[in-house]
Amino acid sequence: MRAGLGVRLFACLVALLFVAPTLVVAATSVTSGSMVTFPPKGFSLRWFEEVLTDPEWLTALGNSVQVGLLAAVLAMTAGTSLAFAAARSRFLPPALVTGLAVLPMTVPLVVAGIGFYLVYIRVGLSGNALSLGIAHAVLGLPFVFVNVLAALTGVDRRVEEAARVSGATEAVTLLRITLPLVAPAALVGGVLAFVSSWDEVVVALFLNTPRFRTLPVVMWSQVRSGVEPSISAVATLITLVSLLMAALVLVGPAVVKKVRRRT
Amino acid sequence: MSALSQIQSRTSSPGPQASPAAGSDGRAGRGGGPGGGPARAWRLPRPDFWSGAGLPGLVFVVAAFVVPMAVVVVKSLTDPSPQNYAAIFTSSVYQRSVVDTLEMALVVTALCLLIGYPYAYAMARSGTALRTFLMVALMLAFWTSLLVRTYAWQIVLNDTGIVNTALRDWLGLISAPIHMIRTPFAVYVGMVHVLLPYAVLALFAQLRSIDPDVERAARVMGARPWRVFARITLPLSLPGAVAGGVLVFVLALGFYITPQLLGGARQVYVGQAIMQQIEQFLKPGVGAAMAVLLFVAVLAVLAVAARFVGLGRILGVGMGRRR
Repeated sequence: MRAGLGVRLFACLVALLFVAPTLVVAATSVTSGSMVTFPPKGFSLRWFEEVLTDPEWLTALGNSVQVGLLAAVLAMTAGTSLAFAAARSRFLPPALVTGLAVLPMTVPLVVAGIGFYLVYIRVGLSGNALSLGIAHAVLGLPFVFVNVLAALTGVDRRVEEAARVSGATEAVTLLRITLPLVAPAALVGGVLAFVSSWDEVVVALFLNTPRFRTLPVVMWSQVRSGVEPSISAVATLITLVSLLMAALVLVGPAVVKKVRRRT
Repeated sequence: MSALSQIQSRTSSPGPQASPAAGSDGRAGRGGGPGGGPARAWRLPRPDFWSGAGLPGLVFVVAAFVVPMAVVVVKSLTDPSPQNYAAIFTSSVYQRSVVDTLEMALVVTALCLLIGYPYAYAMARSGTALRTFLMVALMLAFWTSLLVRTYAWQIVLNDTGIVNTALRDWLGLISAPIHMIRTPFAVYVGMVHVLLPYAVLALFAQLRSIDPDVERAARVMGARPWRVFARITLPLSLPGAVAGGVLVFVLALGFYITPQLLGGARQVYVGQAIMQQIEQFLKPGVGAAMAVLLFVAVLAVLAVAARFVGLGRILGVGMGRRR
């Protein structure tokens, strides 16, 4: 049954409200004035230039990329490993493995933040990409796990059995057959883990030190003292990267499949 | 071999899950094979190759997640004592915070379902063009950072923000700005904007799964459109509403960034209260106790809801994006 006109108009209105704030931020970032105004005064990229030449923002950008990549790699490794155990182990109860792998998804970020903070203080691991990277890897792990687990159920076990019959050890079969088959799924999970690390604020606030701050943390500290065109520029950059990654994940696999079918 | 898998299914509760893997076990299990005599049948399942493959992940998740969570629990009981919990339950400040948080989360959930339902309905029951437009708008918002979107609402709702400027300078409707920022209203706007996509995605998935023939049959039998909706579509879409609503509610409970930036000093929600204990009052024990209670509350809500709609459906919504 088709949705009525009223419902469709309402939905369109909500859709505009969905995108309006992001567009407003982007608009205020290209102002040539020195204040956040809407509509912006003139057009210039001076605030992007200012942000991209400011050592504080640049350091934070570098930190964010480091943390994100580390989180993605760790999440991919641990998530894939757990998915193997959940799907194939005859020793570990699958419910236990799945529970452990999915639990980080349910934890509120403030709660996770306190936990990481208390532990890292005790072991003296703080103020670097490693500590926050590990924390973000935990939060990103479920995405990898779920993706790889789904891919594993689609793997034809006879291919693995063929490798075993041909004399490959279990380890070789895992590395040469199973892993390549689920690698795309793991990669998708890794990208998701990167994005969730890229714009994560709460845990990053718990673990930041004056000398180690990520992009969202610096943005947070500036936002609290008011709105500035330079913050809008950073916000726009953060958003562009997130959207690019999301497009990669949402559209990428379909494109790859299409290309593969053609060749 | 079959005996081994029987023990397996007896010792590990999810029997049906264990059996599909049994076919390959002749190769995977080192101790098995056709030569495995009756003596082996009484052995408990032994760690196999795939358990080994899962070991790095298990070690990581235990060391990097389970241990920190355990430390929070220990901290809440020992710094200085379990009195932390008594303090939370007896102090009127904390009680107020809990009540405010529950109220906020319930209002946000209700708003998300009320706004999200027509949106999801329009998406599920319209042509490709409109559906694509609605989906793209949804995804653009969904994948924009929470901090960026909260900042955006700050720009829009400020005393000198877009709404006030429009009302005063362009339309001349008001002479003094309306204070919207640092009020519960701004928090609701910001939080509904952030959480609405989860509700829409859950409802959309459910509405799409309804067989159109069921609605058609009702129409053929003479039911008017609103009656078809009320008696057929709405009841069949309820699981989606439950899944989306529970997810929104649970996420809203622990919010920190949006209320901190858009809310006033009068409402201190639980997420903010936890942060305050650590940052300002330097009482990590109390903060940890509140965190434990928050996590327990979230898990309890999820556990109850899982009985009705399944945990997979709730957590699967908006997979890949967390707040």
